[in-house]
Amino acid sequence: MSENQTDADIKSRKVYVDEGEDFSTTQSYGRRVVTPVRFSTDARDVGWVRENVPCQAACPADTNVPAYIQTIVEERYSRSYEINRMANVLPGTLGRICSRPCEDACRHGWAGNGDPVNICHLKRAASDLKTDGHRITENLYAPSGKKICIIGAGPAGLSAAHDLSMLGHQVTILEREEVAGGMLYYGIPVFRLPRDVLDVEVHNSTRLGVQVKTGVNMGTGVDDTKLSQLMKDYDAVLMAMGCMLAIPLPLKGLKDGDIDPVIEAPNAEYGLDFLTELHRGEEKVVGKRVAVIGAGFTALDCSRVALRLGADDVSVHIRTTEKYIPVTLEEIFESKREGVKILGLRTPVGLERDKDGNVTGVRFVQNRLGGYRANGRREAVPIEGSEFVEPCDTVIVAIGQKTINDVMDIDVGLDRWHNVRVGENGMTSVDGLFAAGDFVSGATTVVEAVGHGREIAIKLDTWLMERVRRKKVVKIEPVDGPLRERAYDFIPRQHIPTEPMATRFDDLVTEAETGFEKDMAHEEAKRCYLCHMKYEIDVDNCIYCRACIDVAPRDCIKLVSGVEVKDDGTYGDLQETKQWDKVGAIWIDNDECIRCGACFMVCPTKCISIVKQEIFYQDV
Amino acid sequence: MSSAPHLVIIGNGVAGNRAAEILREKDKDCRISIISAGPLLFYNRYELPDVFKGRQDWRDYLENPPEYFSDNNITLRRRSIVADVDTERRKLVLAHREEVGFDQLLVATGGAGYLPERLQETASLTHQFTTYRSAMKMYKALPKGGRVVMLGGDMIGLDLARTLIETGYQVTVVPGDRTFWPHEISAEDRPKYLAALETMGIEVINHGEVERIEDTSGGATARRVVFVSGETVSADVVVTQYGLAPMVDFMSTAGVDIERGLLVNPQLKTTRDEIYAAGDVCQIWEQESNGYRFYYGWRNVRKMGEISARNMMGADVPFETEVDEQLIIKDDGSIDSPFWEYSA
Repeated sequence: MSENQTDADIKSRKVYVDEGEDFSTTQSYGRRVVTPVRFSTDARDVGWVRENVPCQAACPADTNVPAYIQTIVEERYSRSYEINRMANVLPGTLGRICSRPCEDACRHGWAGNGDPVNICHLKRAASDLKTDGHRITENLYAPSGKKICIIGAGPAGLSAAHDLSMLGHQVTILEREEVAGGMLYYGIPVFRLPRDVLDVEVHNSTRLGVQVKTGVNMGTGVDDTKLSQLMKDYDAVLMAMGCMLAIPLPLKGLKDGDIDPVIEAPNAEYGLDFLTELHRGEEKVVGKRVAVIGAGFTALDCSRVALRLGADDVSVHIRTTEKYIPVTLEEIFESKREGVKILGLRTPVGLERDKDGNVTGVRFVQNRLGGYRANGRREAVPIEGSEFVEPCDTVIVAIGQKTINDVMDIDVGLDRWHNVRVGENGMTSVDGLFAAGDFVSGATTVVEAVGHGREIAIKLDTWLMERVRRKKVVKIEPVDGPLRERAYDFIPRQHIPTEPMATRFDDLVTEAETGFEKDMAHEEAKRCYLCHMKYEIDVDNCIYCRACIDVAPRDCIKLVSGVEVKDDGTYGDLQETKQWDKVGAIWIDNDECIRCGACFMVCPTKCISIVKQEIFYQDV
Repeated sequence: MSSAPHLVIIGNGVAGNRAAEILREKDKDCRISIISAGPLLFYNRYELPDVFKGRQDWRDYLENPPEYFSDNNITLRRRSIVADVDTERRKLVLAHREEVGFDQLLVATGGAGYLPERLQETASLTHQFTTYRSAMKMYKALPKGGRVVMLGGDMIGLDLARTLIETGYQVTVVPGDRTFWPHEISAEDRPKYLAALETMGIEVINHGEVERIEDTSGGATARRVVFVSGETVSADVVVTQYGLAPMVDFMSTAGVDIERGLLVNPQLKTTRDEIYAAGDVCQIWEQESNGYRFYYGWRNVRKMGEISARNMMGADVPFETEVDEQLIIKDDGSIDSPFWEYSA
C-alpha cells in the first residue's frame, strides 16, 4: 500500500479477476468482482470480524481459530501451530487444558446447527501432528536497549516475556519455584498436561534471549528479592505472580484469628497445596473415601489425582449444579467416567472430627438455586435446618485462589478485591510497574492469563518506546471459491480418543486423552464453517434470478428493503421484505450463513464474491 | 389467526398425553400441540417386553385409536426435535429451524436410558430397551433361546428379564450401583434381593467393574463383556439398564433451573411461570426432605401429567405420590415392584 493511498481509494478500486480468462471453458457471462488484498481499520470491517467470527471474539488471546483449522484441512500442521503461536505461545498446552470459551461461542453449536467444532483438540492436533523441527516464526524487532523484569513464570509472565523479547527488549523472569511454568507446572496434573509438551513451549517462549531465574523469592524479608530494588535495576517491572493462595473454607462459626481446621486436621488440605506439593515431588497420601469441596478445574483435578492415588470413593461437592460450574463438559464427563461422583446443591458448614483431630466427615447444608450472579453463575441459597454429614477419610478444599500481596515492599494501589489495580495503559499506581494475569484479575483461566499477558506486553512496549509500534487491522483477501462442501455440515463432532480405563490408573503420568489421529483431525477440521469468509453480493451485477435463494440450505439470503447501520458503522438488523417493489437489495445474512458456498457456485452472473477477513497486527 | 392460547407439550408419553387429555377437558377451545421426537403415535412403552411374546406390530401398543388426536383437536407433531427454547420470545426452535410459538409450555420429555460415562464408547455394541424401535432392534438381534447379558439391572430391565425368562431366553444380570433403580436398596438388604433374582431364573454374576465390550460377530456369540478383573462373559445381546437420565439438554438456555432434571415446585411449575414439567424429566421440591426428588413409575407420571395440566389451567394443586416404593419379595421368592404396575 503506497503512502498516498487511503483505505477509501483501495476500497473503491475493483479488479476483474477473469480478465483474460478463457470463456470457452467457463459457463459464466458475467465478471466476478473482487478487491485486492488490503488492510483496513474501518469500523465496519473490524466490527464484521468481531461479530462474525465468534470463536475468535470469545478467545481472550484473540486466536485466529478459522485460519488454524483451515490449515489443518490442508495438512499444514506446522503452519497451523504457528498461526496459534501468533496469539498464544502455548498451543500444545492450551490444546489440552483450555477452558474453551471459543467452543461455547462457535456458530456450529448455535441452535439447530449441531455441536460446536472441537476447536481445543484441533489446537492440540496442530501441536501433536506438526513436523519435528518445524520452522518457528518470530517477527523480531531490533534491540531496544531496555531492560524488563517479569515476576512469575506462569502463563501470563511467559506470554508477556515472549512478546516483549520479540519486541527487542532484554527480559528477565524471576520465578519462586524451581521450574518455570507456574500453575501449569505445579497446578495441573501430568495426566492432563504432559511436562515434555509444557517444557518445549516454555523453552520456545523464552528462547529469544529471556533469562529465567528460578528459586527467587520475592518479599520483604532479609533474604528476599525486593520489588523496590527491581524498580531501580530495570526500566520496567511486570508482576505476573498469579493467585497462589488458597481461599480458606468459610465454615460456620469460624472467626478471624481462629485456626483453620483445614490446615490443622492431618487428613484435610487445600487443593492448591495438594497439587503443588505433589508436583514438587512430595509423596501424597489420601484415604479410601475422599471428599473434594469446590467446583472448578482444581477440584476436578484433585479428585482425579485422588483416584490415581488409590481412593475408592471420590466425590466432588458443589454449591450449585453441574450445569453452572466453570469447567468444560468434557472435563466433567472424563471425571465421571473415571468414577468421580459430582454431588450438587450443598454448602459445607463444618468438619466433623474425631479425638485426634482427623476429619471424619463434612457437614453440609442443602441448597436451592438462587438468582444469577454478575458473572453468569448461580447463587446457592442454603435451606435452613437441612444439615447433613457426608463421611470421608480425606478432605480436599478447592474453592478458589487469591493473590499474595504482602510480597511488595512499596505501596501499590489495590482494588476492592485486594488485587493490584492497573490503568488503561496496564500500569499500576507506580510509574514503570505493570501487572498482568490473575495477579490483576483474580483467579481466571490459563487462556485469559495468556491473553492478558500479551495485551499488557504491547501496552508496556508502548509506554517504554513512547509510541504504538503494532496496531490491529483487518486483512481483507480475495478468495477464489468456497473452501467448504455442503457435506461437511453433516460430519458429527469427533471426540478425542482416550486411554483405556484398565491402564489409566497405573500411575499419575499416563495422559488420559491420547489426541486425534490425522484422519480424525481432518474430519473435525472440515466441520469448521470458516466464519472469517465473507460472502457478499454485488447488487450492481445481480439480476435477481433468486437462484442463490433456491439453493441456500438455510434462510441466509434475503430480499431486503434496507439494512440498519449502527452508530459504530457496523451493520445491524436486516429489514426483510417480500414485496418486489420494495426490494432494495439482495443480502447475505451472515448470522445465518454457514459458508457452504452453494450460492457462489450457482450464481449465473458471478456476482457473489468471497473475501477472507482476519485480524492482523501491523507494524506502525 | 385464533386468539385461543397455544399450549405446547414436549413429549408424547404418559405424562404429556394425560396432560393433553385434561387440558382438552378443561378448555374446549385452546390450541394443544404435542411435539414428539419419535415417529409413532402415543403407545404403551411399559408393555414393550411383549415383543418377545409375539406382539411385534406397533399398532398393538397404541393407547388410543389413530383418530384420537384429530377428534380431540390435538396437534401431534412427530419426528420433531426441539433444539432450543427461547423463553423471552416464547418460541420453541426445532432442529430443522422451524419456530413454534407457545403461551404455556409443558416439558414431559421423560428420560433416556442412562449409560454410565465409562460405557459410552461401546454404546454401539449394546442395546437399550426404551422405545418400540429399540425393543424391535433387540428382538431381531437375539436368536431364539439366546443369552442376554444385562448390565445394571434397573426395574425396567428386570421387568424385561422376567419376560425373557418366561419366553425361553437366558438372562445374566451384572449388578451395579443402579440395580433395582429406582428402588434404593440398603447394602445389607441387597444380597437378599439379588438372591430373589436367581429364584426367578436370572443368573447374577459379580465380576466387578465392566472394562469394555467386544464385538465377536462371527463367533458363537456376538458380544463379549470384559471385566476389569480380566474375567469375561459371552452374550448374544448386551443390554444396558442403568435407570433413566432426564432429557433436558434442549432446556439449557431456557432460563429455568436444572439440576439433573428440571427443578419444579410441588405444583410442577419451573422457575418460569409459563413453563411446567411433568414425568421423569422433573425433580419436585419436597418439603420434608428439604430437597428435590424424582418420582418414577406409570402411576406417578400419569398423575404428574394430570396435576400439571390442572395447574396450567389456573388450579393450585400440589403433586403427592400415592405409590408405595417398597420392593417386595413375594412368597414364591420372586420380587415384585409397584413400578411394574401400569394400568388405570
